Amino acid sequence: MTANLKAESVSFAYEPGRPVFNCVDASVAGGETVGLVGPNGSGKSTLLRVMCGLLRPQHGAVSLNGKPLSAYAGRDRARRVAFLPQAVNPAFALNVFEVVCLGRYPHMGAFGALGPRDKEAAERCMAGTEVEHLRGRDFLTLSGGERQRVLLASILAQEPEILLLDEPTSALDIHHQIEIFSLLGRLAHNRPGGYGILVVTHDLNLAARFCDRILLLGLDQSMLAEGPHDAVLTEPLLSRAYGAPIRVSRHPETGAPLVWAEAPREEETGEKWDTPHKAPSEGRRGASQPGDAP
Amino acid sequence: MTRPGRNMAAAALIIASIGLVVLSLLVGTERVDLGQAWREWRDGVPPSQAPMLGIILDQRLPRTLAALIVGCGLALAGAAFQAMLRNPLAEPYTLGVASSGALGAWTATILIGAYGFPAYLLGLPTIQLLAFVFAELDIIIVYMLAAHRDRISPSVLLLGGITMGMLANGGILFMRYLADPNRVVMMDRWLMGGVDVLGYRPVLTLLVGVAPCAAILLAQAPKFDQLGFGPELAAGRGVNVRLLQASTFVVGSLMTAVAVSVVGTIAFVGLIVPHIVRSITGSRHRLLMPVSAVAGGGFLCFCDIIARKILPGETPIGIVTTLLGAPFFLYLLLRRRFTDWDA
Repeated sequence: MTANLKAESVSFAYEPGRPVFNCVDASVAGGETVGLVGPNGSGKSTLLRVMCGLLRPQHGAVSLNGKPLSAYAGRDRARRVAFLPQAVNPAFALNVFEVVCLGRYPHMGAFGALGPRDKEAAERCMAGTEVEHLRGRDFLTLSGGERQRVLLASILAQEPEILLLDEPTSALDIHHQIEIFSLLGRLAHNRPGGYGILVVTHDLNLAARFCDRILLLGLDQSMLAEGPHDAVLTEPLLSRAYGAPIRVSRHPETGAPLVWAEAPREEETGEKWDTPHKAPSEGRRGASQPGDAP
Repeated sequence: MTRPGRNMAAAALIIASIGLVVLSLLVGTERVDLGQAWREWRDGVPPSQAPMLGIILDQRLPRTLAALIVGCGLALAGAAFQAMLRNPLAEPYTLGVASSGALGAWTATILIGAYGFPAYLLGLPTIQLLAFVFAELDIIIVYMLAAHRDRISPSVLLLGGITMGMLANGGILFMRYLADPNRVVMMDRWLMGGVDVLGYRPVLTLLVGVAPCAAILLAQAPKFDQLGFGPELAAGRGVNVRLLQASTFVVGSLMTAVAVSVVGTIAFVGLIVPHIVRSITGSRHRLLMPVSAVAGGGFLCFCDIIARKILPGETPIGIVTTLLGAPFFLYLLLRRRFTDWDA
């Protein structure tokens, strides 16, 4: 049976009466990459945390392989669902191998000893994301792209079925973004019963090119659309989601949708395009990214 | 450093620490003749009539054990607070836990001595109980000042902790000012710290208070590793971060409170020891924490040797650790890497 993580009509609010999203459905199954997109403050990161069990929805339910997610104990869950948050700031210097081995935590015994099986898994995962040559390097000295590949290896070391990734490419240059996304594609498709990957991203073009399905969250606390990129990445849907004119054409080579936002005209700048709802999840990390507001 | 290299260095550190503990038994104002002590032991002379054996068993051993247990406890508490708060400058002293515990202990002593307060409350010694309550209040206040949602401000944490520590020391000084001059000497013990305990009762108090706490903290080592990469990644891997935080704060401050209630405030042990050990063993807490515990014991024995042999008279050990620790603290502040620690 392929793994399956499903959120059914979930609602979540950090403060009562101010829901981040209402009655939203989302799912990811083994062997597919699903892109979770939407404007700042639409609750993408919050939805990811709800699906990972870090936050409990006030309404609705999340199920993993047909069983309620809350019925799994913490480490039991972590052996099936792995979560990579957006900003990972290590407080201590560890080398790459040690960082990858941290992912073995859900499999460890009481005293945290690493057995041969753990080391084997760590080696395999480092090979999977092509970071074996970095094994002895201090994690803090790595470049952004290398760090992300090491962190991916470390969550793969949990040997999960589902990966939940929060903007894994937000700090990377265009080349490393493509590199990470094609790696995700391989992880989902290259093995029988491959990983199910749910990835939050702001880059609609990367999502169009590499994701099998796309979930579009709107600012009205609902899931606006769900389906293959052709059905979701359309001008009317995107313009509604982002509250701004969004244009879609075709990528000249891949034929995938090519999305861009129109620059605001003089008289229309200002309040109209300010995000109407500021979710605390975004505010907590500081101000919204200026590049995302048209 | 390579893995075997690290293990070797850690082993050398442990051996050196044990050596310091043994040395602490032998060094002091009076020369110890081991051969004579052995003969007295073999002949079954009671310690009260055996000069050499008496010195070792009645004076040196309890004192060394006190230094060993307190050093272990403070170093472990330091390592745990640093992991918990993701900050290399966190330790029982800089967080104000040690001074607040000492204030609690001193308050209890006054209440018992001057106002006929019961020495035992709920079956627990009042001194240790009050030291624990004060230490716990301190860490709760400092944490609430510094934490915002799941983030912790390192500068507020340290400023808050140091301020709370100053407040507690001010409280001790105020009571010292008001106190009967005969009690002042005793009171200075809580300000300067001293492991010159008499007999085995204090040692037993230390052991009962510190050992279980140490065991609990050591068992959390793999979770502290996870926390090093942020609370969210740790939670995603199945660590109950809230529970870990609460238990570490309670257990770490309890351990510190018991230690300072017996020997007073001993600064910077929890800072220096884990830091030096980390540079040798790396940051994996499964190795870092037990080695820190042993090295902390060795370090405090070393400071006690300096206090009684090298410095004039019987210098309180807290003065020695402060004179060693404060420059080290400044050195850490000078190194810019500390700013990278913001959670």
